[in-house]
Amino acid sequence: MFSGLQVSAFLAWKSIQRGSKGTLALTIMIIALIFVNLIFLPSIISGVVENFNTQSIDFDIGNLIIEPREGSQYIENVTSLQKKVERIPGIAGTSPRIVAGVTYFYKGRNAASTLYGITPEDERSVTKIADHMLAGEFLSNGDTNAIIMGTTLAGEEGEEAGGLPSLQGVVVGDSVEVAYPNGEVRTYRVKGIYETQSFNVDTAAFVTGREMSGVLGLNDQASAILVKTDVNGREEEYKTELLSYGIQEEVRTYREKAAGFVDQAVQSFNIINTISTLVSLIIAIVVVFIVIFINTVNRRRQIGILKAIGIDQGIIINSYVLQVLFITAVGALAGMALAAGVTTYLTAYPLVFPGGPVYPVVEAPAVLRSIASLFAVSVVAGYIPAWQIAREDILTAIRG
Amino acid sequence: MIVAENLTRVYTMGRVEVRALRGVSLEVEKGEFVGIMGASGSGKSTLLHILGLLDRPTSGRVTVDGTDVLALSDHQRTLFRLNRLGYVFQDYALIGELTALENVYLTSLVRGAPREEYLRRSAGILERVGLADRMDHRQSELSGGEQQRVAIARALVNNPSILLADEPCANLDSQTSKSILDLFARLNEDLDQTIVMVSHEEWHKEYFCRVVTLRDGLIGDMAECRKERPPPGRTA
Repeated sequence: MFSGLQVSAFLAWKSIQRGSKGTLALTIMIIALIFVNLIFLPSIISGVVENFNTQSIDFDIGNLIIEPREGSQYIENVTSLQKKVERIPGIAGTSPRIVAGVTYFYKGRNAASTLYGITPEDERSVTKIADHMLAGEFLSNGDTNAIIMGTTLAGEEGEEAGGLPSLQGVVVGDSVEVAYPNGEVRTYRVKGIYETQSFNVDTAAFVTGREMSGVLGLNDQASAILVKTDVNGREEEYKTELLSYGIQEEVRTYREKAAGFVDQAVQSFNIINTISTLVSLIIAIVVVFIVIFINTVNRRRQIGILKAIGIDQGIIINSYVLQVLFITAVGALAGMALAAGVTTYLTAYPLVFPGGPVYPVVEAPAVLRSIASLFAVSVVAGYIPAWQIAREDILTAIRG
Repeated sequence: MIVAENLTRVYTMGRVEVRALRGVSLEVEKGEFVGIMGASGSGKSTLLHILGLLDRPTSGRVTVDGTDVLALSDHQRTLFRLNRLGYVFQDYALIGELTALENVYLTSLVRGAPREEYLRRSAGILERVGLADRMDHRQSELSGGEQQRVAIARALVNNPSILLADEPCANLDSQTSKSILDLFARLNEDLDQTIVMVSHEEWHKEYFCRVVTLRDGLIGDMAECRKERPPPGRTA
């Protein structure tokens, strides 16, 4: 057994060492490119998901979101609920938001979108919008006639926003009219314009909760309370913790809140990824099969000679399988180097998606899965032609 | 000892049946140097292929040192070729990617011999066939005679009980052929090596202790083994 493997390895190595270097290099390069293709798309999908998660936590939802219990439009006694939640270990902050669908008017143009009423200091403890001001300043607790606006909603002079709500050219200091759903119309001075690259947030605007409560006639009420936790990734634990403290409102993690949208996007990406993976693996099978088939056909006589001098066909087949393993291993290594290069490049110059820049996220399971599937298809594709030729009658093989 | 009984071999080529052997019986004693001769198409290579376990007869029986080799499985036949037989092909049949030394020690590697032992033994045999300075050369760097010597060294490296040679001088000039035949004669005389060699050259007869002549798939002549061979002019 061991000496058989030793002979297979000996024959494989001599073939690699003294065979055509050009063919070897080309095959390794193809395997490397297939490997890159196998991990590239999943890394982009992971990047999109990661990007969406980060944006959801940092700008839109927080780690957890508390919403009114079923049948209610608003959360009541917000201040007391906030205090209760903030006492729970691991909770970094809470921010109540009032949400309304409004129409904005600016220089004869109008746009329908969302307006949030926030407590600026609370919002700072939960989201990072305050750190993403493009112009002007973030809101202060005392502001009553000020508004901050997302860059998409503010828009650029003379530029359509491709179907997105845009006032086409609002700048800091401008006045914007806001028509509330109850018919109230207020004029606000634009205090700041922010850019988060989160689609939901950049098409919206914020005023203080005090101002919005006044307009809508609310008292210590909110549409939602965003909750920031000390660490990301343990939302389920914190949700259980919150519920155990007797919170009656609906508590959801950011994943649950955004599930529909992200799941649909990920499912679509996964279909594309599956097709791409299958095509890549079929290419790998075909390439390895052709290379080994040509190799074995060209060495048909040699295979016959090896059998004639007493070398078992299993040893001969294994020598080809070992060649394939070598080619795949080197190809995968080269692929990893290439993928690292591509990842580094795309980290420096990220792909820009509607939701913002997407950085490739190469996950170890995806890499391991790619390596395993590449090895599996390569071994099968290498074994079959070697087996076909090696089982031929000795004299037929020797005569070529 | 080889005993072949009533061997027939029929090839089917399309609708045509070619009867390469029509009932050949032959015994080769240990230490004999037997020449199988005959015109082209007489069945001599077919007979050697069957004796070398490279082919199976359509009917008949072959025993080598008492083993019914036709009853062996493919794997057992492979092991039998590895351990008991040495085969020299007409066109050398070396592995082009290997050096002379590697070609020779390959079968010892399969047998699991220790590295030092097979290297020493293979180098010794290559020295014996006059290729001490060509061990690290590959097939493309060797002349026809040198390649055939490597093939002979490969056939001998595992001390086979029988050395089979299929027209080993067919592609060589007369001087090189003579040196190869001298080498065979020496192996036969010095080591009592059993050799069965196919040839169609009349002048090779002087090297054989016995000549079996095939005609149309049947044995035409079969002389007794000469105990004293006339000393051939040796060049090697």
